[in-house]
Amino acid sequence: MNTLARHGLFFVAAAAVLVVVTYQVDEFTNYNIAGVAIFVIAAAGLTVLVGINGQLSLGHGALMAVGAYTTSLLLKAQPQTPLIATLLAAVITTGVAGAIIGVAAARLRGPYLAGATLALAVGLPQIATHFGSLFGGNQGLPVAPLSPPAFLGSDFSSNRWLAWVALLAALITLFLLANLVRSATGRRMRLVHDDETAARLAGIDVERTQVLAFIISAACAGLAGSLLAYQLGITSPTGFNLQLSLQLLSAIVIGGLGSLSGAVWGSILLVILPLKISDLAGNLNLSSDVANNLPLAVYGAVLVIAMLAFPRGIQGALLRIVGLARRAIRTIGPRPQASSPS
Amino acid sequence: MLEISDLTVAYGGVLALDHVSLTVPEASITAVLGANGAGKTTLVRTISGLVKPRSGHVLLDDRRLTGRAPESITRMGVAHVPEGHGIISELSVDENLRLGGLWRRDRADHRVAVEEAYELFPPLASRRAVAASSLSGGERQMLSIARALASRPTVLLLDEPSLGLAGMVLAQIMARLRALTAERKLAVLLIEQNARSALSVADEAVVLSMGTVVVRDRASRLAGDESLRHAYLGF
Amino acid sequence: MRTFLILTVDGLTNGFIYALVALALVMIWRATRVINYAQGAMAMFTTYIALFLITHGVTYWLAFVITLGAGFALGSVTERVLVRPVEGRPALNMVILSLGLLIFLEALAPMLFGGQVKSFPAPFSRIDLTVGSTVLYVSPFDIFIVGAVLAVMLLLTLFFQRTTIGLSMRAAALRPEIARLLGVRVGNMLTIGWGLAAMLGALAGLLISPAIFLYPNNMDEVLVFGFIGAILGGLESPSGAVIGAVVVGLALSYVGGYIGSDLETIGGLVILIAVLMVRPQGLFARGQQRRA
Repeated sequence: MNTLARHGLFFVAAAAVLVVVTYQVDEFTNYNIAGVAIFVIAAAGLTVLVGINGQLSLGHGALMAVGAYTTSLLLKAQPQTPLIATLLAAVITTGVAGAIIGVAAARLRGPYLAGATLALAVGLPQIATHFGSLFGGNQGLPVAPLSPPAFLGSDFSSNRWLAWVALLAALITLFLLANLVRSATGRRMRLVHDDETAARLAGIDVERTQVLAFIISAACAGLAGSLLAYQLGITSPTGFNLQLSLQLLSAIVIGGLGSLSGAVWGSILLVILPLKISDLAGNLNLSSDVANNLPLAVYGAVLVIAMLAFPRGIQGALLRIVGLARRAIRTIGPRPQASSPS
Repeated sequence: MLEISDLTVAYGGVLALDHVSLTVPEASITAVLGANGAGKTTLVRTISGLVKPRSGHVLLDDRRLTGRAPESITRMGVAHVPEGHGIISELSVDENLRLGGLWRRDRADHRVAVEEAYELFPPLASRRAVAASSLSGGERQMLSIARALASRPTVLLLDEPSLGLAGMVLAQIMARLRALTAERKLAVLLIEQNARSALSVADEAVVLSMGTVVVRDRASRLAGDESLRHAYLGF
Repeated sequence: MRTFLILTVDGLTNGFIYALVALALVMIWRATRVINYAQGAMAMFTTYIALFLITHGVTYWLAFVITLGAGFALGSVTERVLVRPVEGRPALNMVILSLGLLIFLEALAPMLFGGQVKSFPAPFSRIDLTVGSTVLYVSPFDIFIVGAVLAVMLLLTLFFQRTTIGLSMRAAALRPEIARLLGVRVGNMLTIGWGLAAMLGALAGLLISPAIFLYPNNMDEVLVFGFIGAILGGLESPSGAVIGAVVVGLALSYVGGYIGSDLETIGGLVILIAVLMVRPQGLFARGQQRRA
């Protein structure tokens, strides 16, 4: 069966499994499942930009903010706007922002690109603070939580609905990107990353490929940001600070750069690890200064140690383990028939 | 005395050096000749520590060189003049020259050695403060050799020093090399494509082909043996 | 006119502090081809150490010296323990490692020293000087900042141009393989380079914290502005980095003063993009590419 069908089948199966899971777990877990799904959307998009196309961005948290603010402003102007419209608006607006940034950054490479996107990460939230009346300033804009549609019943949990929406968005995103990565466009993006000169000689429009990668990753970030606004119930500059951009980037590297599975691993780690550490801190009765900062301290330490010990991230380590296991099975498995007596 | 024993170097699956053994006595020049890719440069890069061999070892007066970092090997008295001179063009002539032997504790003697190097190559002496990037190819080669000598080495590894030099200048440098080898009791390994010029100053000669030593003889005899010369050296 | 003078003095003093960070970034870039994103966080951390010493009875100047030493130690240990092992690996690994270090230090500081915003002392008065009845819009501390940075730059120049170890370090940064063949212990040179860079960062932290106060993220913007300054200068040229940083400081001051103080970083970004679109290699890059 062809790739498209294979992917489709996989995602339908995954969706079915996840739906079952959301019925088995409690409210808080559904909330976190939604959180992971939201990060997966942003991380998958960033994987295309950084892992496949090779452009480093330290500013995708700011692009998530664009999506979040688009949704929040729409809802502020017209609270009855349907979900699909707010999400679509966020995707389109952030995609346009991505196009602008992509064009500006098309000729930048390496640290120059990093510096520009770093400035974006720190600077964009400041616009929200400056135009306070429009963007709600430092307090931010409130966002009404997602309420499940009537046909699901009046006692359907809103966290489960949030998880369903986020998971669906994540699965669709992964499906689309998985096919993109294997398509001719995906190959072009990879080629431009691997050998720009060769790509140009082969007639590829390098700048257009770079900008396209930016647009795609921005659209994903916008969708994720929009859903994050619904999850948090508020859109404010502090929710989209430099840390967010750095966490996104580190998630895809630690998960395994260049692979969409890596984006999933990284997102899971990004959400689960701080939770577990917070639990631990609570159990140990630590002072508030220590307890509040322990999750981040551990996350930072994990990043450093992972880069020292697992240069190809979780996905790389898993692949190695699978490879080792395969080899072990081959050596201890049944021998082929002997063909002649000794 | 430099002793190379059974040296084997592999790049991926390809053997660049295959059980090469060679001795370079002090106060003598050994020419290493052979076609491109025969392993000549790999040999000197292994001696100076830039390349780690798969097996075999290199001894300098019974002290092991193999396995040490290149900077440690240099500090033991091995000076490597790399292919393409290796001049740092952003630095001045003087800075480049002083880098030869900068580590030495005897600062006063280092200064003397630097001045001696200038005396050997007068064109450099008049342009000390100039950026090395403005030197001609031949002058850069001179600077590279001078820099190596400024560290007062006991072993001198020269990788294609004739590149960029021609005619009179080349002959003069070779003659000076000959004299210095005797004066300072240097053990010199001279890699050359220009076999004629190398054989004219060398004592011993070794021909490498595909990583192995195919001919080992006194330089004069090799220069005189027409059939050998035609077969391996092209003249 | 008065506003212009105030903004100019502000811009210059901040610009000189950004110049320290820019210099540090360029030094490390030239030596190891790496951007140390944790440079600001390291400076923040050493400033916390300084405050700790001062609040426990150590005089300012002694704490000043110890802090610079702590910066050197932090930088050199980082290079030896964290950077050296990651050397041959893909560049992005090093980016994540330094980001991880940034995140770690910004979380460790409040855990050790408390997370609330603290004030940090200045060794000289921060009140503008007056001559007779004219206000000069410059304070003694402002003069100290500019003087200290200029002195550091002079010392660094002398160090690199006039000492043997400086020459070894330059050779190690320009042509590491050749330097090894010349007996230079390249690894040690890199360690010292990182130590010196972190020392510059430590000084920046000490000089800017009186104005912006001390809290875990206080050096984030300083890092960004220093980085922009270094990029404007072209990343290969220390003097370019300094000029770029001072230009950034002035530009941001004028943007903040005349347009809006929240828009400083975006203003800086706009300037950066504008310059890079015209000269993608930076203003002062002269094709000084480093070879292996």
